[in-house]
Amino acid sequence: MATTIELNKVEKRYGAHDVIRGIDLQIKPGAFTVFVGPSGCGKSTLLRMIAGLETISGGDLVIDGTRVNDVAASKRGIAMVFQSYALYPHMSVYKNLAFGLETAGYKRDEIDRRVRAAAETLQISDYLPRKPKALSGGQRQRVAIGRSIVRDPKIFLFDEPLSNLDAELRVQMRVEITKLHERLGNTMIYVTHDQVEAMTMADQIVVLRAGQVMQAGSPLELYNSPANQFVAGFIGSPKMNFVPVRIGDATGISLNGQRLDATRPLAGAIGDPLTLGIRPEHISINEGAGQSLGEAHVELVEHLGGSTVLHARPAFGSETLTVVLPGQQPCRNGDKVPLWIDPARCHFFTPDGQALRG
Amino acid sequence: MAAYDTMSKPDTRKQGAAGGWLAGAIRRNGAGYLFLAPWLIGFFCLTLGPALASLYLSFTNFDLLSAPEFIGAQNYVRMVTADPRFIASIRVTLVYVALSVPLKLAFALAVAMVLNRGMRGLPFYRAIFYLPSLLGTSVAIAVLWRQLFAADGLVNSLLAQIGIEGPSWISNPNYSLYTLVVLSVWQFGSPMIIFLAGLRQIPTDMYEAASLDGASPTRQFLRITLPLLSPVIFFNFVIQTIEAFKAFTPAFVISGGSGGPINSTLFYTLYLYQEAFSYFRMGYASALAWVLVVIIAIFTAFSFLTTKYWVHYDD
Amino acid sequence: MTDTVHDMPGRRSAYPRLTGGLRHAVLIAISFVMVYPILWMVSGSLRPASELFGGDAGLIPSQVTVQAYRDGWFGLQVNFGRFFVNSLIISVLATVGNVIAASLVAFAFARLRFYGQKFWFALMLGTLMLPYHVTLIPQYVLFRELGWVNTWWPLILPKYFAVDAFFIFLMVQFFRAIPRELDEAARMDGCSAWRIYRKIILPLSMPVLATAAIFSFIWTWEDFFGPLIYISEMSQYTVQLGLRSFIDSSGTSSWNALFAMSVLSLVPIFLIFLFFQRLLIEGIATTGMKR
Repeated sequence: MATTIELNKVEKRYGAHDVIRGIDLQIKPGAFTVFVGPSGCGKSTLLRMIAGLETISGGDLVIDGTRVNDVAASKRGIAMVFQSYALYPHMSVYKNLAFGLETAGYKRDEIDRRVRAAAETLQISDYLPRKPKALSGGQRQRVAIGRSIVRDPKIFLFDEPLSNLDAELRVQMRVEITKLHERLGNTMIYVTHDQVEAMTMADQIVVLRAGQVMQAGSPLELYNSPANQFVAGFIGSPKMNFVPVRIGDATGISLNGQRLDATRPLAGAIGDPLTLGIRPEHISINEGAGQSLGEAHVELVEHLGGSTVLHARPAFGSETLTVVLPGQQPCRNGDKVPLWIDPARCHFFTPDGQALRG
Repeated sequence: MAAYDTMSKPDTRKQGAAGGWLAGAIRRNGAGYLFLAPWLIGFFCLTLGPALASLYLSFTNFDLLSAPEFIGAQNYVRMVTADPRFIASIRVTLVYVALSVPLKLAFALAVAMVLNRGMRGLPFYRAIFYLPSLLGTSVAIAVLWRQLFAADGLVNSLLAQIGIEGPSWISNPNYSLYTLVVLSVWQFGSPMIIFLAGLRQIPTDMYEAASLDGASPTRQFLRITLPLLSPVIFFNFVIQTIEAFKAFTPAFVISGGSGGPINSTLFYTLYLYQEAFSYFRMGYASALAWVLVVIIAIFTAFSFLTTKYWVHYDD
Repeated sequence: MTDTVHDMPGRRSAYPRLTGGLRHAVLIAISFVMVYPILWMVSGSLRPASELFGGDAGLIPSQVTVQAYRDGWFGLQVNFGRFFVNSLIISVLATVGNVIAASLVAFAFARLRFYGQKFWFALMLGTLMLPYHVTLIPQYVLFRELGWVNTWWPLILPKYFAVDAFFIFLMVQFFRAIPRELDEAARMDGCSAWRIYRKIILPLSMPVLATAAIFSFIWTWEDFFGPLIYISEMSQYTVQLGLRSFIDSSGTSSWNALFAMSVLSLVPIFLIFLFFQRLLIEGIATTGMKR
């Protein structure tokens, strides 16, 4: 029942300006896919191309085996929830939900049945006679979603739908959209710049940058084995630490004269530069199975209660490292602490940003 | 429907069957051109076509009854060498523009300055000041003006009360044009509204910062208000000048269509009207129309050239 | 803290000395001068014919009579009622044309995408500056060939082809401020361009449609040049032409009757002004055009 979407070398050009540069992507039936990336990466443009709101300059967009590049937006079986909700301000909530069905020429009692069913699902039945401006942000959000589900589309698209809500409501709506996906089972694509939303909601995350896919995979794949330095830095919070190092021998690096076991073969000549990536939560201040990074000077401590964040300057470099320690720690600004890391959890990136796989 | 999409270049790829390119072009552009159609028809049939026709007619002798006779540039030559009424109408119009526009704008700006800053009763004053602009070019107002400045009109009644015996303003060629300038200044309401909107755009904290720096009100006006308002002043200036060049009704009504006394209210457009519809010299009138276009174009281009010296744009 | 700022000399406005009562006194004085001529005309129209001249600058007639209105109304061989009906028909038809045509074209410019859009838009703006005198004579020839001289067609029909770019510009400005996502949502809902225009843009644009309608009505009502050229038969006259004939036929002999008809000719505009002045003022402030 659910729908597959396939993108083959999809491109978008505005004049001489390339916005989307040859994207290949498979979206499995019923998957919740999140496009994530910094602003200007092309994620919204890509979504709008799938929706049919932007033309496709090159390549093929295939939905359920049919090329739909030239199919009108409304004929693709797609519904979209906009960032600003785009509710029709001059129509009641009921009319907003019914409008698309009226346009499609449904009978009045069929429209009524569907509108009431959608309103029931989203718990907005009480607001049907109201105009959008009489609703709160969260209620408007529900109406926007309701407007997309009444038409029973094959695919749902969400363009940063939560960015206008306050933090608390955002968490709540996140859960609701995830539940909605579980219940309906449709293929959904969701665009956000917030990697936390991506990690919590997605079956598959597609990280975009400058119109290209940097990596696509499940949240934990992206977290555990980022394909490149960009994805490594983008996924995870606080951000991964990056330290410039050099190749020491076939399986070890040299960090300020000290050897660190890379636990994997290193391609390249001795002395070539590499970047070591280590997540803040993978650095410890207790002697463990790992290797020592020497002592570090604690510049700032953030006590979050559930965890403790240190900003510490190691002896070997001028950049501070972020360290997340579990629970509450008795550290103070100005302390000296030893840093330990697990080599198996380190990432290595070549100068062009590609990850070295273990 | 897909007419929305072609921000990018038209897609030149073959779309299956022959004629696909045409079908695609229609699909992308059809809706746009359908909606545009009324204007396109109007533009070609009522604007561009007639404009080109009048350019041609300006080189002909045409009395509406027989076919136009091509006479080269004779109409234009006659204008500058053998037509004292043309010269008179240029002179009258330039005097009118040069006096009425600056006075009207100065008045509009002064009143807008007094009205600014959310004072009480602003909507009331604004409405009162705007009313004459709205009644503007109707014949009734010209009738009123003719009577205000008649020998036994309101103005002279008022002057008589302070012991001055006023002339018959309308029928005295020394004064008649100035009554029309007064009429124009009386209609300062619409540029005033535009000034008000412009003044509202100037952030109050600029004045607060300036007064904390000890800038006097005069200095604030010269250094903040005028520069920040200059795009609006420029805009009003261009629009009002073009409108002033096109003024017709008051001169027509006040002079009974003659432009008198002694050509003293012979506005350019009035002269054009006479040539076309009183004497049926349609070729000559067309030449007059094109000269008006050239005058307005030169004026506008010149105004734009000066903007870099005095108009301040935010970048 | 802000109080100290308020007390700074010269802070409140660029004219610290022109505050409070003095400022209102100045404004009231200007208002009075502005409105006085109109009041004087109204007052004159209510006086008996003998009283108007002879130096009375006051506003209070010694005796109020509507005789001037009766004289004026029937002062020409066709009565003024006919002129009012004519003007009303022409103005309403012209207004409908302007609003429909300009909104269609503005929708194309503001909301659709098509090849050559920028080019046409630039041309459209260019016609804003073009004095109508340039097209006057060939248009006259054209309408004469069509046999439309001495009919209302030349005054009405061009409006259905959006010849007054001012209205297009006014509406483009407004349409552009409506969030584009509404159109996109409607497209996802399966709307054609026409349905978006009809069901989304027009209902949301009532203020600008009203503004355009009001300006269009007033300008057509006040238009003198068009009727002067095209209408020669008195039964077809507009109010403005009627007034002008009245001056010609009566000279200065019945000024109070002329005043009476002048006052009547301004009544529709004045009523519109009374009820819609906010729309008029916003229309001017946003486009900054014309009178």
